[in-house]
Amino acid sequence: MKLSITHQENYSRGELLLRTFFGFIYMTLPHAFLLFFFGMWSAILTFISFWVILFTGRYPESFFEYQVKLIRWNIRLNARRYNLCDGYPSFFIDGADDRTSFNMDYPESLSRGNALLKAFFGWLYCAVPHVFILLFRLFWGAILSFVAWWVVLFSGKYPEGIHEFNVGTLRWTTRLNLYLTYMTDQYPPFSGREETNDGNNS
Amino acid sequence: MMETTAEYYPLEQPDELTLRQKEDAMGAYLMMFAAIGAGLPLPNINLAAAIIYYYINKSSSRFVRFHSFQALIATIPTTLINAGAMFWTLHIIFGDWHVNSNFKGYIIAAVIANLAYFVIGIIAAMKARKGIYYYYMFFGKIAYQKVFSIKSGDDKKEVPVNLPPNL
Repeated sequence: MKLSITHQENYSRGELLLRTFFGFIYMTLPHAFLLFFFGMWSAILTFISFWVILFTGRYPESFFEYQVKLIRWNIRLNARRYNLCDGYPSFFIDGADDRTSFNMDYPESLSRGNALLKAFFGWLYCAVPHVFILLFRLFWGAILSFVAWWVVLFSGKYPEGIHEFNVGTLRWTTRLNLYLTYMTDQYPPFSGREETNDGNNS
Repeated sequence: MMETTAEYYPLEQPDELTLRQKEDAMGAYLMMFAAIGAGLPLPNINLAAAIIYYYINKSSSRFVRFHSFQALIATIPTTLINAGAMFWTLHIIFGDWHVNSNFKGYIIAAVIANLAYFVIGIIAAMKARKGIYYYYMFFGKIAYQKVFSIKSGDDKKEVPVNLPPNL
């Protein structure tokens, strides 16, 4: 899984202020409204995919593609909501974006046992420990975002370390989501770092 | 026999279909679980999901289109039966209607209809996964007619644009 958000050289102060004060109305609300329906479809496909994996050992490819595109849309929106990049996120699952990217290889086969394990105990051995750690990370991320907001306002630069930290949080939550929605058998690492080709975190 | 081949597109055979097409066709029948997946016990969710699924796959191969359409129209009777059961039950719980023999009979019939729909749906999904056409009683013919009949406009599209020069 590869998730990246471009760290821009310069950030627009105007867009920052616009997003902060009116972003909910002109950006979050219309996207969230549509994402609710697309998300419901995603939930239906996830439920069906669980049964398909259980009987065939495969995640239906077209379902998988839909889920990946929906994650891309969510990332496009969240990148702007957290001021990680400028611009207005494009609508719908086929929307393009040159500042965010998310790619995931289609798994040719998935473990039936793993799917069952996730369905019954996923919350226990995966969701609970990850969410527990993520709560602290999100809290710290909120403080850093507040600092970054002022830095962008005065200098037009987003501190690179904070940017990487917040992108890492998004990466972490996305990995957790992928695992719990049966899209991968790889247990999510307790890290927000990008994975290298050998599967380790860089 | 000649008329049949002239009026209908030929059926794809299992080895001509990709695994993705087979899985997409199978998915159409599994939309009967949509209401459970959405977490909303509303009978019309399944019908809505089947309609959405059909329109998503409308431009797909005839194999996928056939199964999507068959699954969609086969959902209609159970949706109506379940909607009736829900309407009746809600009137008993919140209104002044009472449980009587008619209601019991209707619920038993609804359960049988849903079980039959479930079993046949699973069989159709398994057949579709293997690349096999499975025809429901009554609905199978409608779906075949809808997807495979060659309409008068279709012939025009098949006239090639590029032709060799006059030699």
